[in-house]
Amino acid sequence: MIDSLILQQGSGWRAQAEVFDEIFFVFLALGTLVGTIVVAYTLWNVYKYRDDGNRSDEKFDAPEVGELPTGQGGPKAKKLFLSFGLSAIVVISLVVYAYGILLYVEDGPDANGDNIEIMVEGYQYGWEYEYPNGHTETGEMIVPADTRIDIAVTSRDVWHNFGSSELRIKSDAIPGDTNTNWFSVSSEEVQAQGGEATYMVECFELCGPGHSAMEGQITVVPQDEWETWYEGTSGNSSNVEGGAGVDGAASIDAAIGGASA
Amino acid sequence: MSELPPTTSVKRWFVTTNHKDIGILYTITALFFLLFGGVLALLIRMQLWDPTSQILSGLAYNEAVTAHGLIMVFWFLSPFGFGFANYFVPLQIGADDLAFPRLNALSYWMYLFSGILLGISFFQGGTLDAGWTMYAPLNIPMYTPSIGSTGAVLALFMFVVGVTASTVNFLTSIHHSRAEGMGIMDMPMFTWSMLATVWMMLFAFAALLAVGLILASDRVLGSVYFSATEGGSLLWGHLFWFFGHPEVYIVFFPALGVMLELFQTFSGRRLVGRKWVIIAICLISVQSFLVWMHHMFLTTINLEIKTLMMATTIGISLPFDLVVFSLIYTLIKGRIQFTTPFLFAFGALLLFILGGITGVFLGAIVLDYEFRGTYWVVAHFHYVMFGGATALFGGAYYWFPKVTGKMYDELLGKLHFVIFFISFNMVYFSMFLGWETPRRVFEYNPEFQIYHQFGTIGAFVLGLSFFIMFYNFAKSYVSGEPAGDNPWDYSRTAEWAISSPPPLENWPNRPSYASGKLEFVKDYVPDGGPAVKADADGNAATDGGDSHDEHITEYPYWDKHPSHASIWPFTLSLGLGIMLLGLSGFSESLSFALGDSIATTTMTVSNPVYPILVVVGLIGLIGSGVKWGLEDFYAPPSEFAERWPFEGVEKVKLGMWFFLASDVIVFGAFLSAAIFVRYNAGWMTWEPLTESLPGLINTFVLITSSFTVILALVAAHRKSRQGLLASLGSTIALGFVFLAIKLWEWNHEIFDRGVTINANAHGDPIQASIYYVTTGLHGIHVIIGLVIAIFLFVRAYQGHYMDDERPIEYFGLYWHFVDIVWVFIFPLFYLF
Repeated sequence: MIDSLILQQGSGWRAQAEVFDEIFFVFLALGTLVGTIVVAYTLWNVYKYRDDGNRSDEKFDAPEVGELPTGQGGPKAKKLFLSFGLSAIVVISLVVYAYGILLYVEDGPDANGDNIEIMVEGYQYGWEYEYPNGHTETGEMIVPADTRIDIAVTSRDVWHNFGSSELRIKSDAIPGDTNTNWFSVSSEEVQAQGGEATYMVECFELCGPGHSAMEGQITVVPQDEWETWYEGTSGNSSNVEGGAGVDGAASIDAAIGGASA
Repeated sequence: MSELPPTTSVKRWFVTTNHKDIGILYTITALFFLLFGGVLALLIRMQLWDPTSQILSGLAYNEAVTAHGLIMVFWFLSPFGFGFANYFVPLQIGADDLAFPRLNALSYWMYLFSGILLGISFFQGGTLDAGWTMYAPLNIPMYTPSIGSTGAVLALFMFVVGVTASTVNFLTSIHHSRAEGMGIMDMPMFTWSMLATVWMMLFAFAALLAVGLILASDRVLGSVYFSATEGGSLLWGHLFWFFGHPEVYIVFFPALGVMLELFQTFSGRRLVGRKWVIIAICLISVQSFLVWMHHMFLTTINLEIKTLMMATTIGISLPFDLVVFSLIYTLIKGRIQFTTPFLFAFGALLLFILGGITGVFLGAIVLDYEFRGTYWVVAHFHYVMFGGATALFGGAYYWFPKVTGKMYDELLGKLHFVIFFISFNMVYFSMFLGWETPRRVFEYNPEFQIYHQFGTIGAFVLGLSFFIMFYNFAKSYVSGEPAGDNPWDYSRTAEWAISSPPPLENWPNRPSYASGKLEFVKDYVPDGGPAVKADADGNAATDGGDSHDEHITEYPYWDKHPSHASIWPFTLSLGLGIMLLGLSGFSESLSFALGDSIATTTMTVSNPVYPILVVVGLIGLIGSGVKWGLEDFYAPPSEFAERWPFEGVEKVKLGMWFFLASDVIVFGAFLSAAIFVRYNAGWMTWEPLTESLPGLINTFVLITSSFTVILALVAAHRKSRQGLLASLGSTIALGFVFLAIKLWEWNHEIFDRGVTINANAHGDPIQASIYYVTTGLHGIHVIIGLVIAIFLFVRAYQGHYMDDERPIEYFGLYWHFVDIVWVFIFPLFYLF
């Protein structure tokens, strides 16, 4: 798996969702395997050594009330250490593997200066996005395809968590603190979704009575379309409640913005 | 002391200090909270039935979520385990009772009244709705304004106070009262698990106590810790999870202990690799304090620390692996009896394996990024914590015959297990399937509705399955078959060697393992041993290693029987409960208008009820405390006990040391908070608020007062009443001088410099909050010390402590500690 990762590095970076799917698959497969073996082994032995009244008394040394424990090591300690050693190998290789993936996700792809930095500010109950030109948008974040989007997430009131399950990104939004993350959506993906890819944003940290409905949206459009839209914003804010008020260059679902109000 | 009434008398249950009675009280109360928290869970499940319709408002839903979490974690899981621990740890180690019986009763009553406070908070404009993790700043009144929210926080505070008392008690008991011949490695595994639990609790709950005090200060006094953008939110995160992760093992270990016992009893085998299991348990206890930031991987923690926490987190699964394998191998070649207790313990193992494996997923940071705040987390911790509690239900069936003397109905028990196990997996496995749903959200993606509906059906079945258990226990208690002393074929531990239920003082004669197995010995007079008195029956008593002849004279053994009844734990807890109820609405009922000086400051009382409750509660609290101190309550230390590694330390002194160790963590948390916030604000941007001279004078005052306490001890030792009164008097006088200077300083800060608890004319308001709250906490310690010193002074005036100066010594330990804390506070707030 580490190999597959390193090979990928030359030919362009994978989206976080792909990385997640890979590591999730590895853990799930391994977890299911180990769990099945251990549980099956246990069940089989419990059945095998059930007290059916037909066992001979030879070799069976029944404990007595009031005895002090003897044989602290126990004759089966060897077997115990074998199992322990095996699980240690599994666990340590998982740590190493997970660390490799972590470095990948933390760094993100090379930006080459083409990245776009967007400030995300959570509030009770919605999200506000600020673009490099000062334009602000509520509810819906519109970004271009094939571009690394860097988000800097913070909060204006309580602790929120900005997350999109489909994009597999998540960031705590902590008042007084700024958290960074990145994502990138390919133009193939945008085409596959009909020229405009939309991803739901939810709040993943309890933030008050309106938490449940604190939603937003990330809309990914082709680069040229986005540039047209972005030029039209020219630093104006669209702080109208409901998140609409942007020009029609891009098809924006105004109803989504501030749905949580 | 008063006599203990019979079990049929209602009065007994208010005055009892017997560990078995209190164990029963704990268990029944915990089962009540299981129902309370369970009903809230069902409300949550009903809300989740349909993502588009609601039966609760968003606020009410959050209240249900919060209270469900708090109740299940604090008021059900731990106390349920501690019910068994109360009853069986003393029996398993061969003790007559816990080390401090009245303190044990106090812990229980604090637990009960704190639960009642939490219940009341629902009617004070709604209880807390910030989640059981209470993330800042949602937990401050600006965002959770109801009086009930403050009530819930204070309820938690009271619970933690009770827990601290209980922790000190169990640590002292297990380290001080083991029967002769029972080395620490010989202790039964349930007791071992409890020992590891209370060691973790000593430090973890101290951190919770500190963070709870800070939150209470924010909510009641108006300090601004958690609304501070200089790291206030993260401060909560760190302090809470420093407590929160060990807490997972704190609730799991009692259950693990039950599993370790039951696997042996119902397979007829001894635990495989016992020594290694014990080492693994100790390792987990230590390691549990080094993983807390895995709850905060998505905050702005840097990569190096995150990686370290990932390694420790995934690494902590290793000792658990060893324990699990040991449990499995113990069954092999056994004669496994599928009784109800074993089924529950075995089911718990299977559930825990699944919980453990899914926990390793969460340890991998990249996976955690996606699982954070989703139902994966919810499913995982229910498998671990509630899966663990499954073994506790096994424990309830296992020990039911011992406690009641009656056998439960095996068929109903098995029926309970089958329904429980199936519905448990319905509820929580469906959460794994619908894991992408965010936590604490009820308007979720309809794609996952099928899983949540499946879970809701399971939840109702799960809830109803407990009524089979309640019916079984009630019916068996009334008309069950007599169980006999030892209904199990392969039990080993000492509780099965005595009658069911056990007699008040547990043992027919002194239990001893000196010969390698349990025997009840009649003591004889050791040759040349000091201070031995024989009673009319020919029984003898010696004072063990730490001989105090005077002690014997004060408590002549032949007409002195151990006490088992005291009403003061109950009244003291009631007083504290009333006071905290008053404090919950305190800031809403009182307002201050600051004038130019204290004389022109006015106080407006808008609602007298809450302030009156505070005063009444405080009077009850202090009155009960004094009565407690004056009560003639006799709880003798065990003679001939195994005490490793604290052989030379007397019982009360050992308890005092444990208490001070937890207090070190409390102050440590306060000072860490001060340093953390100042670091986030920019260390050099803060100048001391105060002038250093008064602080310097106070430093000398306190150090001198430490010296006079030593003089008091010396005087008591020399039986000089005059000297004792003079040096204790000087200590008290110095204490008051300290407080007077402190008051002048605060007065000066408030009226001359415009620095109050939430306003600072010279810088960040949070700096002022930290100054007042930290030095205030120290001031409260000084005041408590003075109250004790005055009590001692009056008693000394009446002629006490000439024969037994230990109370002076223990007060001295406390007083020195308070002085040492000041040595840390002084540079931080006065010099730099």
